[in-house]
Amino acid sequence: MKDDGEMAEEQKKKPCRFWIWALSSVFFRLILISFPGNLNLSSRPEVSTPLTSIRRLAEGYWLKQASMSPYAGSMYHGSPLLLSLLGPLTVQRINGQPSLLLCSLVFVIADILSAMLLRGIGQKLQMAYGLNARLLGLLKSSRDKGILRCGDISALVYLWNPFTIVSCVGLSTSPIENLAVILALYGAVTRRVPLAAFGLVMATHLSLYPATLTIPMIFLLGYGLDAPPIKLFLQTKSVENEDRSTSSVSKKAKFKQTTRVPFLWKTVVHFVFWVLLWSLYVLVLCGLSLSKYGGLEEMFKRTYGFILSIEDLSPNIGVFWYFFAEVFDFFRNFFLIVFHVNILFMLLPLAIRLKHRPCFLAFIYLTISSILKSYPSVGDSALYLSLWALFVNELVDMKFSFFLFCGYLGISLLSPVMHNLWIWRGTGNANFYFGNAIGYACFQIVFVVESVSAMLNHDRALKRCNSTNREVKN
Amino acid sequence: MATEKREEKEEAKTDDGSPKIKPRPIVQLGIFLISHSPVFSVVFSVAGVMALLLLPLLAKNTYISENALMPGSARSMLSHRDVSDGSKLVKDIKNFRLNHEGQGVEVQRLIGKYMSEMGAEVSYQKFHPEGNQFHPLHFFSGPASYTLLENVSCASYGVNVAGIIRAPRGDGKESIVLVTPFDSINGGDHEALSLGIASSLFSLLARVTWLSKDIIWLVADSRYGDYRPVAAWLNEYHTPSFQVSDLSKCDELNIPDSFRRAGTMAAALVVKVDGRSERFEDTLSIYAEASNGQMPNLDLINVVNYLAVHRQGFYVKVEKVVSLLSSSWLKIVGERFEAVGKVAHTLNPDWNFGIPAADYLEGSATLASSLYSQALGIPTGPHGAFRDYQVDAITLKVSPRFHPDSKARQHDFFLRGAQLLEGTIRSVNNLLEKFHQSFFLYLLTSPSKFISVGVYMIAFALLVAPLPMVAASLYIDGCNALTKSTHNPAKNLKSWKWLDAAKQVFALHLLGFIVTLLPYFICQIPGQHSPTNRSIMWASTSSSLLLITFVTIPGCSPFSSRLHGTNWAVLKSITISAAFIGLCLMSIINFATAEIGALLLVPMCLMVRPIKPDLRSRRVKSLLCALCSMILVTIGFPVMFFAISKGLIGEGLVGLSLGGEFWTWLESLWAWKSATYLYIGMVHLPCWLLCLCILFHPC
Repeated sequence: MKDDGEMAEEQKKKPCRFWIWALSSVFFRLILISFPGNLNLSSRPEVSTPLTSIRRLAEGYWLKQASMSPYAGSMYHGSPLLLSLLGPLTVQRINGQPSLLLCSLVFVIADILSAMLLRGIGQKLQMAYGLNARLLGLLKSSRDKGILRCGDISALVYLWNPFTIVSCVGLSTSPIENLAVILALYGAVTRRVPLAAFGLVMATHLSLYPATLTIPMIFLLGYGLDAPPIKLFLQTKSVENEDRSTSSVSKKAKFKQTTRVPFLWKTVVHFVFWVLLWSLYVLVLCGLSLSKYGGLEEMFKRTYGFILSIEDLSPNIGVFWYFFAEVFDFFRNFFLIVFHVNILFMLLPLAIRLKHRPCFLAFIYLTISSILKSYPSVGDSALYLSLWALFVNELVDMKFSFFLFCGYLGISLLSPVMHNLWIWRGTGNANFYFGNAIGYACFQIVFVVESVSAMLNHDRALKRCNSTNREVKN
Repeated sequence: MATEKREEKEEAKTDDGSPKIKPRPIVQLGIFLISHSPVFSVVFSVAGVMALLLLPLLAKNTYISENALMPGSARSMLSHRDVSDGSKLVKDIKNFRLNHEGQGVEVQRLIGKYMSEMGAEVSYQKFHPEGNQFHPLHFFSGPASYTLLENVSCASYGVNVAGIIRAPRGDGKESIVLVTPFDSINGGDHEALSLGIASSLFSLLARVTWLSKDIIWLVADSRYGDYRPVAAWLNEYHTPSFQVSDLSKCDELNIPDSFRRAGTMAAALVVKVDGRSERFEDTLSIYAEASNGQMPNLDLINVVNYLAVHRQGFYVKVEKVVSLLSSSWLKIVGERFEAVGKVAHTLNPDWNFGIPAADYLEGSATLASSLYSQALGIPTGPHGAFRDYQVDAITLKVSPRFHPDSKARQHDFFLRGAQLLEGTIRSVNNLLEKFHQSFFLYLLTSPSKFISVGVYMIAFALLVAPLPMVAASLYIDGCNALTKSTHNPAKNLKSWKWLDAAKQVFALHLLGFIVTLLPYFICQIPGQHSPTNRSIMWASTSSSLLLITFVTIPGCSPFSSRLHGTNWAVLKSITISAAFIGLCLMSIINFATAEIGALLLVPMCLMVRPIKPDLRSRRVKSLLCALCSMILVTIGFPVMFFAISKGLIGEGLVGLSLGGEFWTWLESLWAWKSATYLYIGMVHLPCWLLCLCILFHPC
């Protein structure tokens, strides 16, 4: 139901209403933050995973203050940089205020920043959409009438999504991870290469899986923003040219040469250079901060190693914990490889099919990695759902929207109930909670499949419109 | 109609440019169900109600699932000396109370003295009578959320006595709890008898060698109700507070304040002795329902039932709705089922599902009571406090058939009661793990018959199955209608037309949420108010909030002129989806509430449709439809349903006193943290309001 407000507001096109909604979401967060003990969100398995829990971070900070390795005792598994940034805030107390208030404020600020960046991305995409539609002759007037303001919608979906609110108030570090991912995309969309590289490196450093975003970001920098397939433009152009001057063989030959979009190698090389630079910088910083406690090797083992080898089998909303709790030890390595390769397998085919829409490709990659992550949380869903809202113009015809909405709603209400039944009442068992996790994964898969097919159908519809236009002209 | 839909679907496919494919069989089945939804919804709903009526027939005999329990396999070691110990305690207490009027705590010291003489470790615990207070945010938090009250008066507090026997073979990690509620001031002679049984047993257990779990005997001070002392003791046992309680200052009687603990609790038995039995034998009533319809493991009830019936010759019973026993329609249903069962038996001798009509009647009366007390979500005794800590517990209420003064019969009664408890404790003592083998989710139709979750869920599933089908069919119809009505291409968001209706549904659910929280604030208003006044306050604030919602949110009110754009079919479809999600969630939290709620909500949601065109058409069928939906919506209003059910029981309530009664009832629900309260406020009430909106929809 979070998007209905936006739908109504964007139709009226009052930018002021956007700010009212955005501000009210911030106030809503601040109100929720003032009841930390009562809501007890930070101990929910849906919100805080071993990687994102603030309590583990506080523990890591404490260990470090006590001159021990922050990774001692398998409590903390995050980045050492995050420890230096957020750690001091976990011990700061203001009199009479709930503990961890400063951390909560940091997360609220991160959420606001992410929303603003999403708005920026959305405005760029909206302009591109309008431009392409005009080029294809689908949009006659110069004004963007009938185009939804996807930036505003996406920012509000991000701010008002219950998942985002819960992970912000529940003190998980996923708002910061999401900010890094969105920063990377923003940098790529606005062609600020150093910023894009910084975002990508930070996001990868914090949660590893955004490394897959390298492919869409290279496409973004190399080919430019999302656009319909290049064939359509060529057809339109050829029609126009045929109208103007028929039977000109030399010109036709020229068109054949331009069937490929120029790939901006220079920008990409620039990008790669910046990525290497930032990675070096981050590694040096990490190395310095961990120099006494085992250095970088320890960090890689305790963060990426922990993510890849799925050591913590405490329940979460993903599907891995149950499987690896059941599997025999001598098959463990085999299945670890199989499960992780799942993500990698999907990268290439999707990249080939959707290379003309790099932002959408990034959205799909993020969704898939949030399904197949080793420690997923609702913060990941918050990220991909708001990215999805960037493509409302293209995805208006998406099927099963109501079904999916009901499914997400039902699953997110069912999950705490099942957990309660298993852990507190003792009348259920792990299968109850895992069943819920499977249901969640299924809905996510339907969501991805429907999004992709709606996008491909949109491209097909453009093609059909184009051909009918041509017929009319002829 | 089905072919039409299928054609539409195929057309949609070919529109996309993909090749024409025949839909998969499962999709075809779905389309078939959706397109015939009126027929199927009637069939499924009727089948759901029939399945509910059939449940007493489908009840299975209970069996001991955990082999380690081995009830009744060992000979009882209880001697007459133990029983005479118990009798002596009872006599002493009676004498003491005759001599010392109103000196409550002295009795506890006397009991403590007896316990320590038997070789137990004794500890005393003081507690406050109040504990259950409604706080909206503490609703689902665990039992640890009891807060210490700031200003405590020494005038009213209770004292629990707990004696612990350390097991000679155990490692002190597990324990079995025996609770005897005892009111030292107002309690009758019957309550002292329960102490007699427990102390006979305790005297035996202090010297046996087979114990491997510690035994805790808790004498709960039931001056302020049965439940509260046990809850306070359990809270102290599991979550010790390190703050010094103000109570320790009111130490008039110089009681040592150290709290003693044993290991985790394997099981708990609450023993009460009640008035005289009406039957020839001594009667044993078993109470098992804890908060929110949770039940203890069935094995515990089985063990007690087995020992009581086969070893000690008690008449065992569970609660039943007595008024149902004399209802004629249920009797007719029972006779029909009996006849069908007989016919089936003649056809095939292996089909033995028929039961006599009298049994059916008994079974349904017990089932109704079981459903009712689970649906209320209020524990039926002190055993409910244990379930919050995942400890299986039941209350055994024994009614002797003799007069409490007869000495000779008392000895025999103590012997049998203590033997029953000894056998049960011995069985639990054998356990190596927690109770886990048998069922946790079941309904009882008699002490030895139960219906497991796999059977009773069928009735519920059949009842709610029409909801998604009708929702899907209405959604398709409504969306098609909307596509035809709007010609503006900019507004034609094909797949997102439901958002407007969803906004209305969301607004009304939010309203329901606020209305649910309102009583908390009404209780905060200073000054004494009668329940009637409070209910009037509640009703007026809620209705003004409803008006505000209708005025401020466009398109929300059924009377606004802007509504003609939205389609009632889509609104109804989303209402039904919301009801479906709510009912399914509730069926997991508390099945009985969901079942009763579904019986009300499902027909209402399915039948309701705008009344205006029906009245305009003036045909008999549509007028009947309108009448039906009016009646269903009237009954669906929670206050109305409350009044009707009160009237059925026989207490006629009219006018303002009804509001007061309703308020008191709801207050009891939230004081016990019953999820039924949340269900009424956040699922039932919004869905009812939405049905009302649909009913008065201007078409």
